[in-house]
Amino acid sequence: MDFYFGLLQIIGVHTLLGLSAYVVLLTGQVSLAQAGFMAIGAYVAAMLTVLAKWWIFPALLAGGAVAGVVACAVGFPALRVRGLMLVVATLAFGEAVRLFFFNFDYQIAMGGIKVGPLGGEGFRQIRYFPENGYTTFHVMVFIWLVVAAVMTALWWMDRSRAGAVLRAVGEDEMAAQSAGVNLTAVKVTAMTVGGCIAGLAGGLYAHYTTHIEQGNFNVLVATFAIAYPILGGLSNVFGTLAAVVFIQAFLVEGLRFLGDWRNLLFGLLIVVSMNVRPGGLIDARNWTQLRALIGSIRKGETRARLEVASGGIMSAVQRLIQRWRGAFGA
Amino acid sequence: MLDLLQSLADGLLFGAIYSLIGLGFTLVFGVMHKINMAYAAASLAGAYAGLTLIKLAGLPAWAVIPAACAAGALFGVIIYGVCFKLIPLSHPLATLMSTVGMLLLIDEIVVHATDGMPVNYPTFVHGMVGYGDFMLRGDLMFVFFVALVVMAGLIYLLFNTRLGLATRAVSQHPVAARLCGISLDHVNAVTFTLSGGLGGIAGALIGSAVGMLSPLLVAPLTVKGLIVTVIGGLGSIPGAIVAGLLVGAAENLFQFFRGVTERDIYVMLLLFVFLVFRPGGMFGTDPARS
Amino acid sequence: MLEVDNLAKHFGGVKAVDGVSFRLAKGEILGLIGPNGSGKSTIVNVIAGLTAPTSGRVLFDGADITGKPTHALVAAGIARTFQNIRLFGQLTVWQNLWVAENRQRERALPLVPRWLGGYLADRERIGAMLEFSGLAHKRDDLAANLAFGEQRRLELARALAAEPKLILLDEPAAGMNAEEIYELDGRIRKVREGGVTVLLIEHHMELIMAVADRIAVLNFGQKIAEGSPAQVQSDGKVREAYLGRAV
Repeated sequence: MDFYFGLLQIIGVHTLLGLSAYVVLLTGQVSLAQAGFMAIGAYVAAMLTVLAKWWIFPALLAGGAVAGVVACAVGFPALRVRGLMLVVATLAFGEAVRLFFFNFDYQIAMGGIKVGPLGGEGFRQIRYFPENGYTTFHVMVFIWLVVAAVMTALWWMDRSRAGAVLRAVGEDEMAAQSAGVNLTAVKVTAMTVGGCIAGLAGGLYAHYTTHIEQGNFNVLVATFAIAYPILGGLSNVFGTLAAVVFIQAFLVEGLRFLGDWRNLLFGLLIVVSMNVRPGGLIDARNWTQLRALIGSIRKGETRARLEVASGGIMSAVQRLIQRWRGAFGA
Repeated sequence: MLDLLQSLADGLLFGAIYSLIGLGFTLVFGVMHKINMAYAAASLAGAYAGLTLIKLAGLPAWAVIPAACAAGALFGVIIYGVCFKLIPLSHPLATLMSTVGMLLLIDEIVVHATDGMPVNYPTFVHGMVGYGDFMLRGDLMFVFFVALVVMAGLIYLLFNTRLGLATRAVSQHPVAARLCGISLDHVNAVTFTLSGGLGGIAGALIGSAVGMLSPLLVAPLTVKGLIVTVIGGLGSIPGAIVAGLLVGAAENLFQFFRGVTERDIYVMLLLFVFLVFRPGGMFGTDPARS
Repeated sequence: MLEVDNLAKHFGGVKAVDGVSFRLAKGEILGLIGPNGSGKSTIVNVIAGLTAPTSGRVLFDGADITGKPTHALVAAGIARTFQNIRLFGQLTVWQNLWVAENRQRERALPLVPRWLGGYLADRERIGAMLEFSGLAHKRDDLAANLAFGEQRRLELARALAAEPKLILLDEPAAGMNAEEIYELDGRIRKVREGGVTVLLIEHHMELIMAVADRIAVLNFGQKIAEGSPAQVQSDGKVREAYLGRAV
C-alpha cells in the first residue's frame, strides 16, 4: 500500500511542477527554468526545517516565496528575449542554479553530527516528516491538499479575467498591448507565480524524499515540467494532471517490466504523443466536447441516448447468449 | 601567464567543435525557425555509430570521421521525419516537445547500447608542436583543422550552389520560395541531412579530442551548443562560428581561473550578459522572431 | 484633442513619415488618405505607441505622449483597430472584450470591491457592447470561428470597450462589401455621437468622403493637402498623387 502512496506523492509533486510551467506557458513563454526554481524552494524549505527548526508550513511558504522572488528577477530579463531564445536562456539559468547548489556548502553541527547541504553530496537527513510522526499516508494527503489548493486557485484564475488576459498575451502581444494590457506586468507576474508554485513543489519534494542533491533538478526534470502541460493541453489545469498521471503510470508500469529503460519509454512516449495528439491529451476541442456532453446530460438528451444505446446493447447481448445456448445444445 | 595563453589556445581550438554544433542548430533554425533539441544527442549517437561501423567493417581509424558523418546525416533525416514532417506546423510546441522526446530517446539508447560506460575513441595526430613551454596539442590542431575544412565546405555549399541558394531562399521567405518552385520538404530534409552530417563529424571530433565518448556528454553539449547558437545569433552562420570559438576560449578561461566545477556557471553568465546587451546575438537577425 | 507635430519616422534610409503635422479637434472625424506606402499606418502606430518616432511630437489633450508605452496610452484614452484584424482567436467573443476592460481598473476603486463588484460592472458593460455590435448571440463562440464581418465588428467593439476618448481606425472597411460599408458608416457616426473623436484611415473613397469632417492627404510620408472632403477632391496635388501627372 505504501508503494501506491509513494506513487501518489510523486504524482502530486509533479503535478505542481507541471502547473508551475503551465502558468508561464499561458503567456507564451516556454520556461525550462522551473526545475531551477524547484531546487531553490527545496533547499530553502529544507534548510528552514532542518537547520532553523521551523514548522513545515511556513517553511514551504518561505521556499515558495524565495523561489518566486528569484523568478521575478528572471522574469524581467526574460522580457527582452523571445520564443526559442527564451527556451535556451531559461535552460541555461536552470543549469546555473543546479551548478550553484553543486558548489553550495552550509553545514552546522546539531546533536553531534553535521547537517546541511554539502555540495555534490547534497542535503541529507531532511527528516521533518518522520520526526513528527507523519506516515506515508499523511504525507501523501498533505501533498495533495497543497495540490488541490493550487489547482483550485489556478482553475479560478483561468475562469476570471486574469486567465483571459494571460492567454491574450500568449496569443498576440501586440493586440494585447493595444487593448491596454501591461505586457511587462503580466509576463513577470506569470513567471513569479510559476516560480512560487515550483518552489512549493520543491519544498514538498525535499521533505518526502528526505535527501536532495543537485542532480534531482536537472534538465530532465525541467523537461518534465513543460512536458506535462504541453502533453496535457493548455486549455485547462486538468490536462496537466491527466498528463502527469498518464506518464507516471506508464513509467511506473514500465519500471516493472523494463527495469531502467523508463527514460527511453518516456522519450518514445513524448514523440508518439506529439505526433498523435499535437494539441495535447485534453485539447481545447475535447474540452468543448466535454462541456457539451455534460450539458446534454443535464438536459436529459444523453441519458435518453444512453438508454437507447444500452437497451440496444442489452438485447444484442441476450441474442448472443441465446445463440450460444443453441450452439452448445443447452 | 603562459599557462593562461595555453588555456586560451586549447580552448580556441576545441571551440571549433562548438562552432560545428552551433552551426547545426543554427542551420535548422534558419530554415525551419525551430530548434532541434535532439541535435547534440544525434551528433554523439552518430559518433558512436561511426565507431561501431568501423569496428564491424574493420576499417582504418581515420574512416571514423566519414562514418560518423554518414550516421549523423541518417539520424538527422530520421529526426526530421518523425519530429517535424508529420506534426502540423500549427503546433510549434508539439514539434519542440517531440524533439525533446527524441533527445531523451537517443540518450537512453546510447546509454543502453554502451551499458553507460565511456568508450575509447581513436585520436589522430599525436604529439605536440611547441614553442618553448607553449605547446599546441597535435590532436587539438587536427580537430581544429578538420572543423575549419568542414565549415569552409559548408559555406561553399550554401553560397555557391543552387541547393545552398534554395536553402537561403527558404530561410528568408518560405512562401515566396515555394512560389518559385522550391520544394520546402526537399530543402528541409537536405538541411537536416547536412546538419546531421556536421553533427556526426563534430561528435567524432569531440571523441578524438577528449579521447573517449560518454553519454554524459549529451546534456552539457546540448546546453553549450544552444548557448553558442544564441550568442552568435539564431540563424546566423558567421555568428555560430565566431561564438563557438568564443565559448570554447571562455570556457577554458573560466576553468583556469575558477576550476572545473564552477566553470559552467560562468558560461551561463556569459549567455545572460549577451542576452541582456544583445538579445539578437552577435550577428542576430530579428530578435522578435520565435 | 490630438496634435501631431512635425512627426518623422525613418526606417534606416526609408522615410516612412517625413515631417507630418495635423490637428484633431474633439468630436471630429478626421480622415487620413493616401496611396499605399504613404505612411498612414506608420503614423497610427506612432500615435498608438507601438513605435517611437524618429523626431516630432504627439500631444494628446495638451500632454506630450510621444513614445509612451501603449498600455499607458489606452489608459489615457486612445484606442485603435488593426488593418488586418488582430483578435484573440483562441478566446471567446466575451473574453476578447473582457481583456479590453482595462480602463475601469485604472480608476480608483479599492481592491476587494473591484474584484467582486468589478465583475458585475464588467458584465453590464460587455453586455452593452455586445448589443451595440450585434454579437450578443455569439458570446461564447471562439473569435477565430466568427465570420469576417463579425470579426471586424468585434475588433471595433474591443477598441470601444476601453472607453476611449480618441479611436484610431486603421482601414476598417478593407474587404467589406457595399452593404457592410453602409453599416460601418452608421457605426462610425454612432461612435462619434457617443462622444469619441475618430481618426479614420481608409482607401474606400465613398466612405471617407461621406463620413469625414476633414481629410488630410499623405504621399511619400508628407502631407500634401488638408481640408473638407470637397476641397480635397478638387485639389490638383491629390489627383496627381493618385492618378499621376498627365504627360
